[in-house]
Amino acid sequence: MSTQPYHSPVTLSATLKKGKARVRRFFAGVSTEGMLLVFLAIVVAFFALKSEYFFALNNLRNILLAVSVLSVLAFPSTMLIISGNFDLSVASNAAFTGMLFALVSEGGKGNIPLGVAAAIAGGLAVGFINGFLVTVVRVNSLITTLGTLAIFRGLAKILSNGQTLRVQGFDWMGKAQLLGIPVAIYIMLGVAIILAFVLRNTVYGRNIYAIGANAAAARLVGIRNHLTVFITFLLTGFLGGVAGLMLTSQLTAASPIAGLGLELSVVSAVVLGGASLYGGRGTILGTILGVAILGTVNNGMILIGLSSFWQEVARGVILIAAVAFDQLRVTVGGNR
Amino acid sequence: MTAVATPSRKRPPFELRAVGLRKSFGGVEVLHGVDLTIQGGRVVAVLGENGAGKSTAIKIISGALTPDSGQIFINGQEVRILTPRDGQALGIRVIYQEMTNAPTLTVAENIFLGHLPHRYGLVRWSETQRRAERILADLGVRLHPRSIMADLSVAQHQIVEIARALVADARVLIFDEPTSALSPEEVEHLFALIRRLRDEGVAILYITHRLLEVPAIADEVVVFRDGYLVAQGPVAEFSHKRIVEAMTGEVYEAPEHGHSRDGSGIEPALQLVAASAPPWFHQVDLEVHRGEIVGLFGRLGCGALEVGEAVFGLRPLRSGRMIILGQEGQPRGPEQAKRRGLGFVPVDRKHDGLLAGLSVTENLTVASWEHLASRLGILRRRDLVARYEHWRTKLAIRATGNAHQAIDTLSGGNQQKVVLGRWLENKSAVLVLAEPTRGVDVGARAEIYDVLKRLAEENIAILIISTDAEEVLRICDRIVVMSDGRVTDVIPGHLATMARLAASAAAMT
Repeated sequence: MSTQPYHSPVTLSATLKKGKARVRRFFAGVSTEGMLLVFLAIVVAFFALKSEYFFALNNLRNILLAVSVLSVLAFPSTMLIISGNFDLSVASNAAFTGMLFALVSEGGKGNIPLGVAAAIAGGLAVGFINGFLVTVVRVNSLITTLGTLAIFRGLAKILSNGQTLRVQGFDWMGKAQLLGIPVAIYIMLGVAIILAFVLRNTVYGRNIYAIGANAAAARLVGIRNHLTVFITFLLTGFLGGVAGLMLTSQLTAASPIAGLGLELSVVSAVVLGGASLYGGRGTILGTILGVAILGTVNNGMILIGLSSFWQEVARGVILIAAVAFDQLRVTVGGNR
Repeated sequence: MTAVATPSRKRPPFELRAVGLRKSFGGVEVLHGVDLTIQGGRVVAVLGENGAGKSTAIKIISGALTPDSGQIFINGQEVRILTPRDGQALGIRVIYQEMTNAPTLTVAENIFLGHLPHRYGLVRWSETQRRAERILADLGVRLHPRSIMADLSVAQHQIVEIARALVADARVLIFDEPTSALSPEEVEHLFALIRRLRDEGVAILYITHRLLEVPAIADEVVVFRDGYLVAQGPVAEFSHKRIVEAMTGEVYEAPEHGHSRDGSGIEPALQLVAASAPPWFHQVDLEVHRGEIVGLFGRLGCGALEVGEAVFGLRPLRSGRMIILGQEGQPRGPEQAKRRGLGFVPVDRKHDGLLAGLSVTENLTVASWEHLASRLGILRRRDLVARYEHWRTKLAIRATGNAHQAIDTLSGGNQQKVVLGRWLENKSAVLVLAEPTRGVDVGARAEIYDVLKRLAEENIAILIISTDAEEVLRICDRIVVMSDGRVTDVIPGHLATMARLAASAAAMT
């Protein structure tokens, strides 16, 4: 065996290894949230330079209002994804429950509290069905909610005959303001704070991480995996109902195609925020930053006059870039 | 690539010599100039505690690590092995402890993974099948080449790993604790195979923590300690005592037999009466008293593991009785078992024990969150960390980072202490431990045994399910032996011998 054939690849791989060590140190030192914050700052700086309107207080309010529905759906979805599950039906849930509200409250002319109750009950029902199918019948959550995504979007169309229903006298969850800030923003912040606390500091929240990290081990230490996941689906369904009300209130109408495709933005925001699709990892703070980046980019692109078609392209690029970068942290940096 | 080794084949003389291997991690040198020579036709047992440097040295030889300095010669020619691929090209193959195969493919495809027999770009399935069959027959296992990997047992997985290395016509085979998941018969098969490969001229490095295996398989012994190769020589010169002293650097006292305690007369903490769960076990009677360590010993597949699972509510009993802390009835699941005072350390730590990616603190406290939380279910991080710190000291968990470091960064022995600590924190009164020291090095193993003895003194009932005779002989007050799903012997710890255990574990029922 001669040494010669091994010589050239050897020096190359040695150089690569040295370079890798440096890259590894770099990646290992950054947290997901820190990285997202830097990324957000870059995005903000870019648009601030490009558009004078970007930094107006008014615009900040616009951005927050625009992401409020997305956020209310993305926060519970974060919890589901940490537990190793998915809910793709959240946007259909919002359209369906918005429609329920419009019908029961007779377009806002009838009994509004009853309409709100109907929407919330509808959301819980969607969550119940998803949770039941996933934890009792044991259908994979991606498949289950792909199914209910279609079912409830279809039901919304059946309920309204495919028409958009006008809703009057119900704008408090949308544009109505308290101290100059739209109520929708308070709802978004409230949900964020509560769920961040629940996820971080309660037994239920930590059980979600344990289940996502290793479902078999979680079961063997006495965690009720199915119950925990079921509750999380119920919570997601409930907040789907809340989002449906917010959407209806903002649009002053219930449309069967309201929030079409929003589930993809939800998954984008959650994954952008550092949650692992394999479960066990993710935070509400991360999702907040994920939502903030998506919202800022959308808003900024409007301000600099790019078409909405380009916004879709940008959203995809950001998602892939963020996940690829995160994957590099895992594979190169060796940390999770 | 040529076909698998056949018995008639004799390889040319072969010698691999490593000189002055040094390696540092983060500025700390962990290997201080090690010289090591291995020859074709010899089995070298590589011994040392975790962190002694043996893994580092082996990884350098196989190309998984590059040395900071040092040279490697094969048959007198210097070679450079900087990647595993370089190592494989030189015929150096490692059988890893962790499975590295494709679970959804067949056994045959796994054996030839990356090297499927082919012609004109088309896979030759009949040849694949035939050759896989021959290799498996060589290994003395009844395993169908078309079985799907995911359906196989741990032991069968390992057989496929070994078969895969053989296909590649290895000149140096490195076994990393190959017997930790094998039954005694399978170990015998493996040893026979290793001997045959040795006689054909293959050089074999055999890493093990089971010191009793050393005289049975090795021709030479090398011992690592603190980054030095501290002893080497023919196996005949190494008594058990000398090996342990070389590994630890301390004078060795023979293991005392179990601290026999007579628990009879008091109501047992755990009792099984004629418990059956066909086809796994039949008519099992078992008693574990508080303050007692009972071993449930047998070969892999004897039903002992399933008895442990049944106790924790993972496998329903068909008939018979189970009494836990005076309460009749089998728990319906882990959650109920936990509430009734049981703790369970599963056999497969990685898949059923560890919460990967979560912190050591969370891994240690996870079974006790409900007790540690306030009435509203709120957990305070500071409380959890305090509990972790308590057990870290008490169980001598060696963790280099803080309480928030990921569990994955700990060594096997320390991970096991965390999993054990889980149930201690939960104040479980009856512990069921399946293979508690599998994949744990000698030093940490002794520490775990010390912990178990202390727990017994604190009046906890401990049931250890083990296929490791050395283990049950060392710590158990009483050993219940199973064979083929039935109890074949009950031996007081001080009367137990290796011979009697082996005989009872092989008894026909």
